[in-house]
Amino acid sequence: MMNALTIAGKQLSSRLFLGTGRYPNPYIQNKAIEASEAEVLTFAIRRVNLSAPDEDAILQHIEKPFQYLPNTSGATSAEEAIRIARLAKASGLSDWIKIEVSQDEKMLIPDPIETLKATEILAEEGFIVLPYTSDDPAICYRLQEAGAAAVMPGGSPIGTGLGILNPYNIERITEKLTVPVIVDAGLGSAADVTQAMELGADGVLLNTAIAKARNPVMMAEAVKYAIHAGRLSYMAGRIPKKKYATASSPVQN
Amino acid sequence: MRLQINGEEHELDVVTLKDVVKHFSLQEGLVVTEVDGIIVDRLHWIDTNVHDGMRIELVHFVGGG
Repeated sequence: MMNALTIAGKQLSSRLFLGTGRYPNPYIQNKAIEASEAEVLTFAIRRVNLSAPDEDAILQHIEKPFQYLPNTSGATSAEEAIRIARLAKASGLSDWIKIEVSQDEKMLIPDPIETLKATEILAEEGFIVLPYTSDDPAICYRLQEAGAAAVMPGGSPIGTGLGILNPYNIERITEKLTVPVIVDAGLGSAADVTQAMELGADGVLLNTAIAKARNPVMMAEAVKYAIHAGRLSYMAGRIPKKKYATASSPVQN
Repeated sequence: MRLQINGEEHELDVVTLKDVVKHFSLQEGLVVTEVDGIIVDRLHWIDTNVHDGMRIELVHFVGGG
């Protein structure tokens, strides 16, 4: 019924990409991952805390094989993002990379120029590149042309839960691009996820919406259904919005 | 030997990069190393000798979005 999402030749069992930050504890995180049925999990790359090496070693808590999508968060330039990407690949765990470059600590707005540079170079090096970027159709198109395997426009700033601030742009992006579009960042609930899918997104990436929900495991399940509902609704084709009423019941008998 | 590891000074009795990873009891399959700005594949840890003053970065995957 729902055709599968394929990125760089890999067919994915779910259209949900799940972040692994900020959960109350590893147990709840694992339960949420399980309930979400996500196959792609994102991570950050950081220095080992040498005084407590196991403290943040997230992979020791993750049981099943997933498609790992490390990110370059913390990078403020293409050069830093490329370094982090190469470190991530050297783990031997994944050659997928989510490019994330920002100089804006308050809003975490992605830097489009540095993101484009990093995408070009890393795609050329053979990485499967998924850049996180703003909801600008022009930059999304440029990222596709630079070799991105999928493009990930943000709905709103990371962790805000403000949802999709510019649905017109997101819809334009999903119409224009031929690579998959994953709406990443700012989504706050199942309703936001459904909206993204109805706008034609091929998938969504969530972290805070699930990790910081009052019940993360239940929200993970809600989001799984939201993706399904939104995708079906998109494929079914919504009615156009009209200014005046049209009776649903016959006007004459 | 004095090494700068993850931005901190460490005095370690080690010969190779593999010894450094072992010293901190890190899970070898999950750690990535960089020595003086160059990534060293874990296959080469054993034949990478470390020297006084080297800058070593030990990184791994952590939770993130």
